[in-house]
Amino acid sequence: MADDTSAAAGTSTETGAGTGSNLRTTKPGTKRLFLTVSVLISFLLGAPFLLKSTEIHRSPLPSAAISSLSDHLHSNPPSFPCHFQAIFLSPFKPSDSSLSLSVAERIRAQLSAQSCGNCNFTVSVTVDSGSSCRDEGDAASAACLWECGGGGLVDAIEGRDDQGIDELLLSAVNERTGGCAGRVYSVFVMEGRDERVVIGKHRHAWMVLKDLDDSTSVVSMIGTVFGDYFMRGGVEKGEYIPVGSDGNVVLSFSLLNSNPSDWIYDWDFQRTGEVLLAPVLEALAPVANITMESQVLYHAPKSSISYWDEKLEAYVVNTRDLPFFVNSNEWHLDTSLSASGRSKVLQFVVYVPSASECPLYIRTPEGEMSKTNAFISPMWGGVAIWNPPGCSMQSQGIHIVRDVLPPQELEKIIEIFIGQLRLLFGLNSNYVEPSPIFKVLASEKGFTNWELDLLYRQHTCFNLLSSLSTLQSLSTLVESLPRMIVMDEIGKQVELSLEAANLAERNISLGINNASALSSIRARALAEDAFFHPSIMSISYSSMEHYFAIYMPFFAPVSLHVLLAAVKEVKRYFAERSKYLTFRASKLKSS
Amino acid sequence: MASDPMGSQLRRILSIFFSLSIILPLSSPSPTMHNNNWAVLVCTSRFWFNYRHMANTLSLYRTVKRLGIPDERIILMLADDMACNARNNYPAQVFNNENHQLNLYGDNVEVDYRGYEVTVENFLRVLTGRHEASVPRSKHLLSDEGSHILLYMTGHGGNEFLKFQDTEELQSHDLADAVKQMKEKNRFKELLIMVDTCQAATLFSQLQSPGVVTIGSSMKGENSYSHHLDPDVGVSVVDRFTFYTLAFFERLDMYSNASLNSLFTSYDPTLLMSTAYYRTDLYERPLNMVPVTNFFGSVMKTIPTDSAYPGFLVAHASEYAAISAETETARVVLEDEADHSKTYDQSEKGLQHTLDEWLKLLEGKLGVKDPEVLVAYGLGSMVLLLTISTWLSS
Repeated sequence: MADDTSAAAGTSTETGAGTGSNLRTTKPGTKRLFLTVSVLISFLLGAPFLLKSTEIHRSPLPSAAISSLSDHLHSNPPSFPCHFQAIFLSPFKPSDSSLSLSVAERIRAQLSAQSCGNCNFTVSVTVDSGSSCRDEGDAASAACLWECGGGGLVDAIEGRDDQGIDELLLSAVNERTGGCAGRVYSVFVMEGRDERVVIGKHRHAWMVLKDLDDSTSVVSMIGTVFGDYFMRGGVEKGEYIPVGSDGNVVLSFSLLNSNPSDWIYDWDFQRTGEVLLAPVLEALAPVANITMESQVLYHAPKSSISYWDEKLEAYVVNTRDLPFFVNSNEWHLDTSLSASGRSKVLQFVVYVPSASECPLYIRTPEGEMSKTNAFISPMWGGVAIWNPPGCSMQSQGIHIVRDVLPPQELEKIIEIFIGQLRLLFGLNSNYVEPSPIFKVLASEKGFTNWELDLLYRQHTCFNLLSSLSTLQSLSTLVESLPRMIVMDEIGKQVELSLEAANLAERNISLGINNASALSSIRARALAEDAFFHPSIMSISYSSMEHYFAIYMPFFAPVSLHVLLAAVKEVKRYFAERSKYLTFRASKLKSS
Repeated sequence: MASDPMGSQLRRILSIFFSLSIILPLSSPSPTMHNNNWAVLVCTSRFWFNYRHMANTLSLYRTVKRLGIPDERIILMLADDMACNARNNYPAQVFNNENHQLNLYGDNVEVDYRGYEVTVENFLRVLTGRHEASVPRSKHLLSDEGSHILLYMTGHGGNEFLKFQDTEELQSHDLADAVKQMKEKNRFKELLIMVDTCQAATLFSQLQSPGVVTIGSSMKGENSYSHHLDPDVGVSVVDRFTFYTLAFFERLDMYSNASLNSLFTSYDPTLLMSTAYYRTDLYERPLNMVPVTNFFGSVMKTIPTDSAYPGFLVAHASEYAAISAETETARVVLEDEADHSKTYDQSEKGLQHTLDEWLKLLEGKLGVKDPEVLVAYGLGSMVLLLTISTWLSS
């Protein structure tokens, strides 16, 4: 710069008689100005490129949609439309005016705390007894009303067994309730000699009562069937959701030989078990994707103590020792190959005791032998004890018995396992009837259709609420860490999860229970995948200080110099220009 | 980057409010039952002179197994360089007492994370559950909302930190953050944190989540000391806090119901040479009503099955004998119409937005899709501009 000023001064002394340092005769050069300003401008132009290339990639999450949906679900919890209809096949004259209202009241009176998955029910009553046909009920259920003309049913029912009546009534319901056959719960009331109340395995029940004049007891029984059974599944306790967060359940069946030196048992689980359990797994498909596996283990003694009971002539384990029965050190049950990190594994164990403790029974606190010789642990699975036949007569076993578990025994054990599976899912393994005339039919799917509906409702509700709360936590987490990378995959999963949740909610209001259950499983699985994505680790994001610390040493000194140079050049240029202009003006004045 | 601090603050407050209002009533309609116990035992030191830390962890592992927690519910993180160390006079044996009565490394020790896998990142991944897809199931903490978790950590620590394998640190706010995330996802019902390091009580000073009870072997400014030196092995073999903890548990078995309060009050400051400080403000149950087996042992809640599902076999036989025409209800699954209301945060205006717009414009004009290529073009054009101006000015 020193030579430039001297050059400029030189120019002025060369070309014209400058009267001092505030006049110059030539236009100031623009090369230096152009140079410095162009460097500055290129820096400014390049700054957006720098910011863009160093930005944190954050896939945008639809937080507003999440919070609005969870708010909506919180204020109006998912309510499943259920329609109850009572059909009187014999002439009936109610004492008070509105039967449907009294039934509805009776149901509502038994409703305990609002639990997830409750029915939003409507009641209608039809008297269809040959000559007369009268119905009353909620107007909303007009589309699903029973078409009259079923007067011949009472005669058709006479003399059939329960299964036959069930199928007959099923076809009648399908015929006469229009398209609502899958969403209507019916109770048929008729007069007859032997009093019975039978709850079928589809969605209907029938009552044969001696006299229909006592309408309060009739109403109370109808209310019991609808409220206790169809709506709540006959259970009082809280719900169990033994489903993994990715919607998978693995049922792991193990046969444990306690002491192989006494006897060794094998089983043919593949054939028997899979045939028997296939319909159960299919029925539970909207609740979880269930797979099965089986294994046989050896040298697996139990870890609680059993002792000889004289009265029962067997070795017994007390109920209070059951928590210590499962010997986790020796029972290597958790060797599942098909279970991924987030699936739920339910263990079903058949324990074959050794000769020193055979026959082995579980003793109830009342001192009796347990009828099933089995117990469950919620969210873990169940254990059943099987005593080899003739073991009480076994003396010192000289030769080892190698045998296969007989298929009939295996079938009985599987029946116990089905009961345990029902317990694990929160239902009763069997119904304790409130009065001797009640009877509940069993289904080959392990669960009756109305129980399945209850499960679908509970699981759908739980999955929806759980997925929304997970999404909410995820979006608060992401917002609290503004410089954390949010990968595209997470954004995609959140989007799909919200979509599935919306679809599930819509299907709930339409009453399509199994589709809504499937969508809700998907919503929960995707939400959990997004929340537990391995890239969300709070210790691996760069804070703002980190960012500055990296880039400042590069750009601060250089940009300072460039800026200063540009400013200085511009000032100099304008100063020289003003000098030239004054010179021009003075020349003009003098000429 | 949100250039609107007020708006983002408001959004944050609103979202916290919404999340609280959702999470609080919906977290459990009824209190969840305690179903299982988990133990996460972490030894954060390596090298021969930290023998006692590995002995601490292995002793507690042995105690917890003896009281009933199975290997599948224990996550053991050890550097595991003691037993087969060249300086070990008793190869493949680890003792916690100079009488050498108990070989801790004897049988059935299943280490989940060993050697250089014991890092802060892996520890936090275990706690929060965010593993890569390839991590095997045995390395996951598969607890649920009914689990009680025992978290035991030992090593060298200081004021609000714990040193991991001499290369990195776990800060108290990292631990508090991980516990908060665990609580949000209901990964535990109750958590007992036991820390045996110097200034241990500072490590859980930032905890806020409910259901957590913590005990540390020393307070801020105090050191935790080893118990005794084993002249045969040549190093200290156990720390005082862990030694007295083990002494407490040796008297117990699976069936006993000594309370947590008796454990916590059994520590004598003169014997420990430090103050064992415990924090119960986040825990609702009174400590004298909590049996130690709630955390250190295994409780399996069992319910005897009263009956099988009768009639199942009969129904199965009859169903498959007669082909019943069961009309399946038509499944009408509605397709979601394309009403993707993209209500993303539109408030990210400002610098970021205009930058994006401008870059999109450039991309469109130049027909370049990949932003990296665009940046390369930009830099190239800058250099070109500079060389031209230099040449022009020369």
